[in-house]
Amino acid sequence: MFNSKFMQSSRTQALLLIGPALAVYATFAIWPMIEVVFLSFQHWNGLDPHREWVGLENYRYILTNDAVFWVALRNTITWTILAVIFPPTIGLLLALGLNQQLFGRVPMRAIYYLPVIIAPIAVATIWRWMYDPFFGLFNQVLTSLSLQSLISDWLGDREIALYSMFVAYTWQYVGFSMVLFLAGLQSVDRSLVEAARIDGASRWQVFRHVTLPALRVTLAIVLVLSTISSLKAFDIVYGMTGGGPAQSTQMLALWAFMQSMQIFDFGRGSAISVILLLVTLTIVVPYLRWSQRDEGAGE
Amino acid sequence: MATVQVSDLRKSFGALEVVKGVSIDIRDGEFLILVGPSGCGKSTLLRMIAGLEDISAGRIDIGGRVVNTLSPKERNIAMVFQNYALYPQMTVGQNMGFSLEISGMKKAEIDKKVSEASEILGLTPLLQRKPSQLSGGQRQRVAMGRAIVRDPDVFLFDEPLSNLDAKLRVQMRAEIKALHQRLGSTIVYVTHDQVEAMTMADRIVVLRGGCVEQIGTPLELYDHPENMFVAGFLGSPSMNFLRGRIEGQSLLLAGGERLALPSLPKAASGGDVVVGIRPQGFAAGLQDGARATIKVVEPTGADTHVLADIGGTEITCVVNDRVDFAPGQEIRLSITSAKVHFFDPASEARLD
Repeated sequence: MFNSKFMQSSRTQALLLIGPALAVYATFAIWPMIEVVFLSFQHWNGLDPHREWVGLENYRYILTNDAVFWVALRNTITWTILAVIFPPTIGLLLALGLNQQLFGRVPMRAIYYLPVIIAPIAVATIWRWMYDPFFGLFNQVLTSLSLQSLISDWLGDREIALYSMFVAYTWQYVGFSMVLFLAGLQSVDRSLVEAARIDGASRWQVFRHVTLPALRVTLAIVLVLSTISSLKAFDIVYGMTGGGPAQSTQMLALWAFMQSMQIFDFGRGSAISVILLLVTLTIVVPYLRWSQRDEGAGE
Repeated sequence: MATVQVSDLRKSFGALEVVKGVSIDIRDGEFLILVGPSGCGKSTLLRMIAGLEDISAGRIDIGGRVVNTLSPKERNIAMVFQNYALYPQMTVGQNMGFSLEISGMKKAEIDKKVSEASEILGLTPLLQRKPSQLSGGQRQRVAMGRAIVRDPDVFLFDEPLSNLDAKLRVQMRAEIKALHQRLGSTIVYVTHDQVEAMTMADRIVVLRGGCVEQIGTPLELYDHPENMFVAGFLGSPSMNFLRGRIEGQSLLLAGGERLALPSLPKAASGGDVVVGIRPQGFAAGLQDGARATIKVVEPTGADTHVLADIGGTEITCVVNDRVDFAPGQEIRLSITSAKVHFFDPASEARLD
């Protein structure tokens, strides 16, 4: 069937292997992204065969007239800062703990990882129940501890709804950083730890001078992935508050979705998506370049 | 500098005992080598002295102070690891100064000590390099430099040369020995390479299965091995062991061949005995001696190793002359060396 010269050509082989995936990726990822950029310069309700070219009008409207956009942008930035600090830090602490010779550490690792495999929409539902002001777990526990003063409407209060939601998000994603850090910790050279101990290093100094440098690559990966996944946070907001109360938990990804799919203004929705993409690239690309250059210098 | 006393030391991992009551007195300034096959407990013993492994039973004194429960940093020891264990993100200079830095020493004093040590080891031009930019031998030297700057009571070496190529190993062997002569410090050195042990040590401890087989100077062990294990472990190629019965002045081998012996064991009971002869102790010719069949001929240039079968036992003899023996050829072997060792076939202990 195949002539051997044809099979041996490594370029042909490479094309055969990546071709199908590339075709799917181009059709369902690259093309829609280009389409969204076009749409952001048009006015379209999603059904009309005619799309009107409006230039930068969508952007002008969003940046000057859309108050919700600015709330969503501020919330997205707050959310991203929190998401880059807390889940990775807690994940690292868990990984350090579960990397010790500890009884039952294997099932514990599985338990901490479990929330990652739950669909975000299910996580949203679970936590919405727990946050319920009347029947929810939190207020019940506070009541039984006679801490009624702390009882809140966790998702109904504009001041705290975003943070309540973030707690649920942290619960879900801590396991993700933990697993990456656990893998990174396996690459820490044991004899380096021992050499540092003999050199007189304290536990903190061993961590600072041996463990942390060995985790550099992992750290870069965790931070980049955390940034990206928090910038596009959607399901959990959609499932828990839908952006409310009074748009106080609105986020860019959800707002883009609502503009397009609920208000049927695909032009504005696309413009928000493009802005989100630009924000993501502005943060991630310089960071990746910095971490890779630094890695090269460290070698 | 300090003495190290290891007294009836034991170490178990669960039900498995890997060090079974080892006692060694290491003198001040002595270069002591722990040698043995893999799994003999030599590295575990070293790691217990370092404080990297807990002690199951027994006692370790360094400089007259019991250190059983002290952490590695409280023992004032320095260790050189097999894989060098250099901090990859630090320069050579930072690697060497790290222990001094965390002990809170002033920068100027650290720099002085680091430059002294790097002068001794010829590392001065490399101080700003990272470990990844160094060759294996240079890394090994940095690891030693890191130990030297601390001026420790005891240096511990854990198979430091096994990652180097043969030529570099010979060179580093001489350097470490010269370094010991210069610093006069106490060194405990672990290796599985008997050549390293023979060439470098003041005294050698041969370990097997977690027990000490024999302690002594290299030549004591070479000339008076207390059992067949030590006899076979030291020396290259290994000592030949021939089993047979003593009849008159000769050894009667299983195949009926007779080998004339230069001496007899005093405790000979007339029963079976194992005779140990170094490969250099034979004369191979065509006229006199016991019949043997050549299996392999290995010329090394300086001499020739001849593997032969004598009465069903395979032996190696080293012939100094160039010989034109061929495999399958029948030759005659006789013992020329006056040093023949006798062992009890059952206990494998030396018979004198």
